Amino acid sequence: MGFYAVQSLNALSFSMLLLLTGLGLSVVLNLMNFVNLTHGSFFLLGAYVGVYWLASGAPWWLAFPVAFVAAGLAGFLLERFPFRQFYARTHLMQVLLTYGLSVIFADLMRWGFGAQILSAEIPEALRGVVFIMDMPFPIYRLFIIGFGAALAFALWFVIDRTIWGAVVRACVTDRGFVETLGLDTRRIFTAVLVISAGLGGISGALGAGILSAYPGLDEEVLILALIVVVAGGLGTFRGTVLSALLLGFAMTFSKVWVPEFSNVVALAIMAALLVALPEGLVARKVRQV
Amino acid sequence: MSSIADGTGRVEARPASQRRSLLVTAKLALLALAAATPLLFAGDYQLRFLAEILIIGTAVLSLDLLVGFGGLVSLGHAVFFGGAAYAAAIAAQTLGADIVVMLAVGIATGMAAALLMGVVVMRTIALFFLILSLIVGQIVWEVVFHWREVTGGADGLRGFPVLTLHTGFATIPLNNGVALYLASVVLALAAYLAARSFFTAPIGRALLGTRERQLRMSALGYSIPRIRLMALVASGGIAGAAGALYPFVNQYVGPNAVHWTMSAMMIIMLVIGGVGSLYGAFIGSAIYLGIQTYVSSYTDRWQLVVGLVFVLTVMIMPKGVVAGLKAAFGRRKDAEGRS
Repeated sequence: MGFYAVQSLNALSFSMLLLLTGLGLSVVLNLMNFVNLTHGSFFLLGAYVGVYWLASGAPWWLAFPVAFVAAGLAGFLLERFPFRQFYARTHLMQVLLTYGLSVIFADLMRWGFGAQILSAEIPEALRGVVFIMDMPFPIYRLFIIGFGAALAFALWFVIDRTIWGAVVRACVTDRGFVETLGLDTRRIFTAVLVISAGLGGISGALGAGILSAYPGLDEEVLILALIVVVAGGLGTFRGTVLSALLLGFAMTFSKVWVPEFSNVVALAIMAALLVALPEGLVARKVRQV
Repeated sequence: MSSIADGTGRVEARPASQRRSLLVTAKLALLALAAATPLLFAGDYQLRFLAEILIIGTAVLSLDLLVGFGGLVSLGHAVFFGGAAYAAAIAAQTLGADIVVMLAVGIATGMAAALLMGVVVMRTIALFFLILSLIVGQIVWEVVFHWREVTGGADGLRGFPVLTLHTGFATIPLNNGVALYLASVVLALAAYLAARSFFTAPIGRALLGTRERQLRMSALGYSIPRIRLMALVASGGIAGAAGALYPFVNQYVGPNAVHWTMSAMMIIMLVIGGVGSLYGAFIGSAIYLGIQTYVSSYTDRWQLVVGLVFVLTVMIMPKGVVAGLKAAFGRRKDAEGRS
């Protein structure tokens, strides 16, 4: 019983990372109709920033805002130069451009941070374990769950319940109309991309505590995030949350039950899901993006 | 009655069919000359390298059938290529490495894998297709990686029997650069012709139709999933034929051959060479593998160079290097007429 409670919490903390990364990806995909495969690079950049910041002795909690800012800055620069010209192009061209960029970033990061596995030093306050039904569970993972849930809720609130969110959603439906109202849609799109990149960075910094940081992590995370976003159904916040939970639990529990072929099982579940529901878990409503 | 016979030298007066057959002959002669040139100048190592370019180029060519003509961007194409490579390598241990048998095994594996993948991915399109083909590819990679007894796991397979060709009365070993190069030239040429005839046949036109006007095609009574499945299987067969020779040229096959990064690499090659141009596949793979081999001997940053070349190609010449250069130098104004 206690064992399964702890494994469920493990799965939940992993789902939170998937959710935050997936949300970053899906915000850009759903709101701007832009496939950004450099998202994994933002994650890895955030992870490296987190590792170095936590080891530097500066206030530990600043590591996460700093990772947000670093990845957000990278996103800002990228939006300025190549992304902007590609908003109107086909998904294929966007996939090609951003995949090429992610190859470049992967190599730049290997150059800058080295090829070895860097583990993050978990801060004093989050080290140690709590006992859940007599089973130890790391406090850091609880922190990820709480922090991730809060961040995801904030994002949902902003996009779904505030006037800013309404403006961004309006930009997708009819960009020209929003322009007519006197709003600068280019600025809005820049802001969305910066927030998305920042989300990638912050989840990287959070994930560094359990996944470490190493070359290739960007691709692994990107694939999982893409699966989460697509399997959830494009254009739905709820679907992304659901499929992040599903993939997180599938990956954790298949590791418990069939350790040898854990990824095969988890991936097969997602594939079966997509075959059964070709539109994803939650089919898109009328909103045509 | 031709203009050559009466000695006027008026080329324009020649009948079109004769002019075309002359053109084809000239092209074939040029191609044969181009294929034979490396035999004179290149050493064993370079010939093996050229063979690798041609083999991977053939796999990229098969991907072009999907991407260029069907609009189906697959991130699981390495499954056909790598799967066939493994199948050939494993079959060679018991059946011996006769090239005909190997090609048959490879083609069968590629087609079977494509059929299986088609069943899974055919219901979806666009991003969903991309992700599903990626997931299927990852599953296959996991299986190859963990099934140590058969695939050698992370170490891959080495030490194959020598590739041979039975000619009825003699058995020629194909284990030197020259033979492997010639075998891959034949493979590439056959694959090119197969792909071209597929593309010019009604099924190829229908495939183009599904890309351009999906709704109209289904209104005309075409079954879109069936057309796409046929394209996938044809493409899998060609990729499988290429994969069957790969272990023997490389003398190694590892799990990376089925990994999704291999699929992504093929897409990069395709885009650099030019999507939808067929021959561009070979140019793309030559550029990519050339950078990989020659730049990596100068600097560790070859991936950076490949990435930059790729991104610049996408940004400046989205139709590929050949079309881009043609446009840049303004030659061949009639190029638009010939797709």
